[in-house]
Amino acid sequence: MSAIIEVSGVAKTFRQPKRLPGMGGALRSLFSRQFTEVRAVQDVSFTIAPGEAVGYLGPNGAGKSTMIKMMTGILVPSAGTLSVLGREPHAHRMTNAAEIGVVFGQRSQLWWDLPVRDSFDLHRHIYEVPEARFAENLAFLTSMLGMADYLDRPVRQLSLGQRMRAEIAMALLHDPKILFLDEPTIGLDVVAKDAVRKFLARINRERGTTIILTTHDLQDIEEICPRLIMVDDGKLLFDGELPRLRSALGSRRRLRLEFGTDPGPINLTTARLVTDDGAAKHFLLDSEDTSILDVLTELGNGYDLKDVTLEEPAIEEVIRTFYQSKPQLAATTP
Amino acid sequence: MLRTVILMRELVRMYIRTKVEYPGAMVLGWVSQFVSYGAVYTAIALIIARFGMLGGWTWSDMAMLLSVHLLTYSVGASFSFTQFREMEDLVRQGTMDAILVKPIGTWLYMVFSGFNIGYAGHVVLAVGLMAWAITQVDVAWSLPTVLFLVATLVSGAMVVCALMTMIGATALVWVRSRHLYSIFFGFWELARYPITIFPLPIQVLLLAVVPMGFISTVPVAVLLGKPVPLLGDFAGLACLLAGPVMAGLAMLHWRWCLRNYQGAGG
Ligand SMILES: Nc1ncnc2c1ncn2[C@@H]1O[C@H](COP(=O)(O)OP(=O)(O)OP(=O)(O)O)[C@@H](O)[C@H]1O
Ligand SMILES: [Mg+2]
Repeated sequence: MSAIIEVSGVAKTFRQPKRLPGMGGALRSLFSRQFTEVRAVQDVSFTIAPGEAVGYLGPNGAGKSTMIKMMTGILVPSAGTLSVLGREPHAHRMTNAAEIGVVFGQRSQLWWDLPVRDSFDLHRHIYEVPEARFAENLAFLTSMLGMADYLDRPVRQLSLGQRMRAEIAMALLHDPKILFLDEPTIGLDVVAKDAVRKFLARINRERGTTIILTTHDLQDIEEICPRLIMVDDGKLLFDGELPRLRSALGSRRRLRLEFGTDPGPINLTTARLVTDDGAAKHFLLDSEDTSILDVLTELGNGYDLKDVTLEEPAIEEVIRTFYQSKPQLAATTP
Repeated sequence: MLRTVILMRELVRMYIRTKVEYPGAMVLGWVSQFVSYGAVYTAIALIIARFGMLGGWTWSDMAMLLSVHLLTYSVGASFSFTQFREMEDLVRQGTMDAILVKPIGTWLYMVFSGFNIGYAGHVVLAVGLMAWAITQVDVAWSLPTVLFLVATLVSGAMVVCALMTMIGATALVWVRSRHLYSIFFGFWELARYPITIFPLPIQVLLLAVVPMGFISTVPVAVLLGKPVPLLGDFAGLACLLAGPVMAGLAMLHWRWCLRNYQGAGG
């Protein structure tokens, strides 16, 4: 399938006039040609196929929002080429806008003082959604997101969770081909997060809407996005499926062996001892290919083994190791 | 085209509905406008009553000038002032980003989603004063003079709207631009008086740099047959051209700023 989004060697450098101290400095900085440069995105490339759900992950300041802003036509890239639905987003900002939906977790697109329904109605006019299709979508989204209770309440009276559901619903009223979400779950409680995730996963599955979302919350990605793009400091670190990230990191499964009596020190080639609490010992499995059986075989029968537990690493841990070891790993990214 | 008109109507309707959510504030705004203009005009009237004339202009000439000044300003500003004054906040809070992802012209959206009916008070005051002044001034009203008046009102409103747009657009690049409005209003106050009473440097500023002279004092001088410094016989034509020329410049500036928009972090 041909790509719906193609990003090739894209960079974005922000230039800000150097601020000089004091009143005179403020005046001089207006005319000075000195700039501080922030390289927010550097040489990032990836392609996204229709129907994919991609999580864009990275620490604060990694350049996630900047990338979203370039793909939605808000910002012009400083270098590289960018194509969304076959068009250069900034040059065709309005045509592009008609075919995408955008949700900013940290800023509202609803009219604060008016009932939710009014913002939706205006949206219908702006996007020229046929009346019948609009009614159909509104009914579907209202029931799916449980918005019936507050559709006629002013936006200012809504809770963050209610508002965020309304924002997402609005972004889908015109049947966009791609839905961009910049931190859609930020600030939501567990229940609201869960509702939003389930909903997005379903929209992606049932309507085939391509989804690109940025987040700090790994669970968003686990539940919505089979594919993960990881960035840090403006640069692309990893692009692929979550299990691949695990294996790329050597997975580091943890094996806990519990003995009836302390067997003394144990040295194995299949597993590396990391903590030794006497009767309980923790090993790390450095290779993905090692199975528990291999370890137990090597261990042999001479021990009073009571219990064996194998722990898959938590995704947080995977990511943490990734950030720590990124220089070596950069080579393994496609 | 039809779509644009429907959209504008919808946008204005939305905005008005947000305003009637707070009816007290709206009425209070209108009352305070009447009071503040009433005070300024009374002061000018008192000065003229004392000295008979202001730079060769009688009270009825001045009434014509003040009404044109207020009308071009309030019409132009209803399309622009509050909208573009907020631009700085829109940029800083990232709301601008949300406007930029809509399939609609950003300028049109800004202008109509904030179309300020609060200026209705200004317009009523200006039209009332103008109706009276028209009967008082020494002008042989004919079709050409009436057309000239209407055209210069439109042109003047365009100058106001263009300048406001340019200041607002500047926020897209500099983030801060609100302080520039105080420059605008400085010149705006000067445009309330016959341009001949000012020293040459100020005349040049009013005609060429911040061309606020064209929203009031120049067209009314032309209408009343009074001399216009620097422009002479070209003053009439200049009044008609000022609006379209400024609108063109504002459009170029707007586009340039959008291309160089950096947004705020986050
Ligand atoms: N308008 C701007 N002017 C100057 N620098 C900017 C601007 N916008 C973003 N930056 C800088 O670019 C870098 C990337 O910012 P960006 O907002 O894309 O990060 P992010 O990954 O979205 O972070 P967060 O998780 O905190 O939202 C940061 O260093 C930020 O300070
Ligand atoms: Mg961000």
